[in-house]
Amino acid sequence: MALEKKQLAAIFGSERVLDDVNVLEQYARDQSFAPRRMPDFVVFAEKVEEVTHLVKLANETLTPLIPYSSGLNFNGAALPDHGGVILNLTRMNKILQVDEENWSAMVEPGVTFEQLQAALMKKGFRMMIPFGAAPKRSVLTSLLERDPVMAAPSFEYGNFLIMDTELVLPDGELFKTGIWCAGGKPGGPMGPVRNVIFRLWTGAQGTLGIMTKMGVQINPFIRQRKMFFLSFNELSDALEPLKRIQRREIGMECFLLNRFNLAALLSEEWGVPDSFPAVPRPSESFENLKSILPPWILALCINGAPRHPEEKIAYEVKALREVCRGLNLELTESLPRVRGLERVLLNEILHPWGILKKFNYRGSVHALTFKSSLKDIAGLEAVLKETCSARGYSTSAVGGYILPLERGRAVHAEFDLHCDLSDGPETDRVKRLWLTASEKLINRGAYFDRPYGPWADMVYQRAGNYTSKLREIKRALDPQGILNPGKLCF
Amino acid sequence: MIPAALPPEVYRALENVVGTEWISQDRAIVETYSKLSLDAEGFLKKHRRNPSSIPACVVLPGSGDEVQSIVRIALRYRIPFVAFTNGQMMSAPTQPVPTIAIHLSRMNRVLKIDATHLTATLEPYADYGQLMAEAAKLGLWNGGTPLATTLCKLSSQAAFAGIWQTSKKYGLLDRNIVDIKLVLPTGEVMHTGSPAIAGLTDFWEYGPGPDLLGVIRASAGTTGIITEITVKLHTWVGGEVLPEPEAGRPSIPGYCDERFDHAPPPPGHEVYWIEFPDYDSEIQAYREIAHAGIAIGLNASGVYSAYYCSPTQAMTEERVREQFFPSFNLYVIVAGIVSGEQIAYEEKVLRDIAGECGGRFLSGEYKPEVLQALAPWNLDCIRNVCGYRMNRRMYAGGSLPSGTPEVAKYHSRIWKEALERFGETHITDRGGADTTTFIYGIEPSGRYTLSETDIYPDPIDPESLEKCIAITLYSAVKNAAERQCTPFGLGGPAEPFVTFFPEQGPNVHLLLRRLRKVFDPEGVCSPGRQVLTEEELKAFPAHTVEGINALRELFSMKRIER
Repeated sequence: MALEKKQLAAIFGSERVLDDVNVLEQYARDQSFAPRRMPDFVVFAEKVEEVTHLVKLANETLTPLIPYSSGLNFNGAALPDHGGVILNLTRMNKILQVDEENWSAMVEPGVTFEQLQAALMKKGFRMMIPFGAAPKRSVLTSLLERDPVMAAPSFEYGNFLIMDTELVLPDGELFKTGIWCAGGKPGGPMGPVRNVIFRLWTGAQGTLGIMTKMGVQINPFIRQRKMFFLSFNELSDALEPLKRIQRREIGMECFLLNRFNLAALLSEEWGVPDSFPAVPRPSESFENLKSILPPWILALCINGAPRHPEEKIAYEVKALREVCRGLNLELTESLPRVRGLERVLLNEILHPWGILKKFNYRGSVHALTFKSSLKDIAGLEAVLKETCSARGYSTSAVGGYILPLERGRAVHAEFDLHCDLSDGPETDRVKRLWLTASEKLINRGAYFDRPYGPWADMVYQRAGNYTSKLREIKRALDPQGILNPGKLCF
Repeated sequence: MIPAALPPEVYRALENVVGTEWISQDRAIVETYSKLSLDAEGFLKKHRRNPSSIPACVVLPGSGDEVQSIVRIALRYRIPFVAFTNGQMMSAPTQPVPTIAIHLSRMNRVLKIDATHLTATLEPYADYGQLMAEAAKLGLWNGGTPLATTLCKLSSQAAFAGIWQTSKKYGLLDRNIVDIKLVLPTGEVMHTGSPAIAGLTDFWEYGPGPDLLGVIRASAGTTGIITEITVKLHTWVGGEVLPEPEAGRPSIPGYCDERFDHAPPPPGHEVYWIEFPDYDSEIQAYREIAHAGIAIGLNASGVYSAYYCSPTQAMTEERVREQFFPSFNLYVIVAGIVSGEQIAYEEKVLRDIAGECGGRFLSGEYKPEVLQALAPWNLDCIRNVCGYRMNRRMYAGGSLPSGTPEVAKYHSRIWKEALERFGETHITDRGGADTTTFIYGIEPSGRYTLSETDIYPDPIDPESLEKCIAITLYSAVKNAAERQCTPFGLGGPAEPFVTFFPEQGPNVHLLLRRLRKVFDPEGVCSPGRQVLTEEELKAFPAHTVEGINALRELFSMKRIER
């Protein structure tokens, strides 16, 4: 039985069910290389009950459902591969609770980073946010997709931010994880029956359930913070200092940026685009900065604490200087010929979307996003550079961001290729390069733990039994295959 | 009692895998493998001459390959199997049918300490003590040991428990697993995290894509047998060798040897004890300390101080009676990881908070004899060996709810009510009723915590065991009914605390049934332990079902129908 508009209207009201071709077209593509796919309808949910009704209806009519929270995934995760209904959750955008005593907030899927951070900072708190998250990116989706936050170097404060969750299972039943799973108050991730089963839904791109609420950890905003910088000619030169700093557990946020990305972030002419892909435009300051900045900088933010913040910063700074002395490195609090870098980055840590200025370069950005061990990352960068050179893509136009995870146990890497999607030959060229580079990086040990789009085949063909189990779980939970079909290995 | 026997061809097939010396169906041997610790019901079965907890044979594989062969044989003949390490719990057959007990004690090596990736890979019988000894040589450690001692195996705790005294900073074990190598109940081998991809090493824990570690952790060992576990390592500043006496602390009731009880804290670490006048001030200080971002460990010890720090059982009981140790306290473990100045800073913060909350540091001036008596914790907060002393009596039940720090006070009320209703089995059951429960700091900022109370019945007295079960169930059902905190307090991801409490999720049992079917379609891996199928529910012991339903009705919850 095919799904009819009147059935959707019975759930959402006719004004929240859209099937105008021009509207559908907006949901048929994003800024990625993923092919255009038209949905049949777009519906706007405002209540959880509407979501459960829709999921049950989709099961009855075998209609694909694609959860859509902000459309800012950049990787094609919310495109309707098999058509169907786009379930737009942007109107479920309430911050349901901020628990100032126990440091958590409960959000709906439409709550954005910009919205939550503003609300929290008014109360003296902050959210840990991933570098390069769009201001209107859904907090819930970002955490669910395991976007690593800038505090990820800290084992304690950067990697386990999900608390309680509420989701609609593929059969339309509501399910809660965490402390509130038996109907009480939210307050922690363990449950039901003392486990962390919510992890099943992470990295799932909405294929195993639709999350409708999430408790997230928040932290106090400490005004006293201090930035430090180290400059390097090669990525490989930065790894030993990074390791030593992290093993001493100095600082909270710590990352490496290459000169392309830092120049884009500091560009005076470029702003953060409102939509993606953006319209490419030149920037003189970007080009100037690119010519004077060191190839890589390591940025480290030392945070104070709620009590005696200056004393905490002081002993960490002393330890940092000791590490740098031992390696004969010059530790600086700014970079020559770059004004206000400390101020920019201190703000960027709280509102880390300035880097999205990079979309002005060619309009679209095609990231190679993966995990690696610290010792392998320089080799992987070399593989990428070789591949770019061999295909005529300038290595100076590759953006680089390296984030140590949990004191350097691993690193999160994002290398960007840039492309003007309105230029057909360029798009073909960069797309081929992006695919080739992905394959080469995977062959050399890069771990694409969130296998979007064409990465899925590359990854899952190498993970036989894990893949089999995922497929069996998908069949067990979603026997009709209605939730975001065509993604991952499903 | 006549235990079930295996068909001879099955026994022979298993013998072919491990050799004759590593398999037995001798009654004297298999009987040993039916004796549990944290299982009052299992002991009652002995009293009732019920043989269903006795395995048909025990087999000791020496490698992951042998485990895989054993599982495939079990699958071919549809014989259930139960894998275990120490056998403290969940090692007995779950159903009255011939069952293969797979004891993993020969797989006891630390396979790798990787100082680059900050990981360690262990076989399933390698314990915390072995791991710490090896990792410390490279300036690393795994982040803690459980109160149940360093002899605990990380692979077992990956399926159940894994709570450390230093979980305040490092979280529970489930936050510290990078990879699990699992022989699935269908006989295949599966990795989680980065090694799920052929050829990749173990540096990252999630994915690829949806994360199956959460499902495995939720399974109480029913998704397969862990043959290797890779865990995270962290910076260790306590020196290459811990200042440990040459032997552990014996748990023999009358045994006392002063030499074992005065080890100092490891280098680069300090342990502070703070006494509080009441529950509210203890909880207030707990939250403030967690919010201050200091310390690697933050817990309240309650009655455990009497057990762990008393060289004899008589002394334990005397100290509980006399309330020798502070009724409300916190012990705070601090490490100078950044530098020695970190300790000075954190002590200063700690003293501020104690002052604000009415706490007093135990010191040379204030209750020095109590501070001296608490000295065993100096080392045991890092590498616990004094937990053996709990087993001077049988540790057979308890309650472990989770919630905001206030959960401890709520928990005390329920616990006291349960003890008053059924009567205590031993004086130490009162820990948490009149004093603080054991509060585990398990999260860096104190957002949520665990609160523990325990029961120590006499295993040769069936009445005492029945009382233990009644107290455990009563507090669990009341906890579920009142919904003040998580049903974590029901005891773990094991029946009867899943199917009989469908309020969780809701209907978590239906989800887990579907997942169980995915991993174990033939129902051979510890069947009925984690979640019952409909058929298993129908066959579930009537007296247990009735007992739970009576309590559910008492608290105005609907009966569970079969």
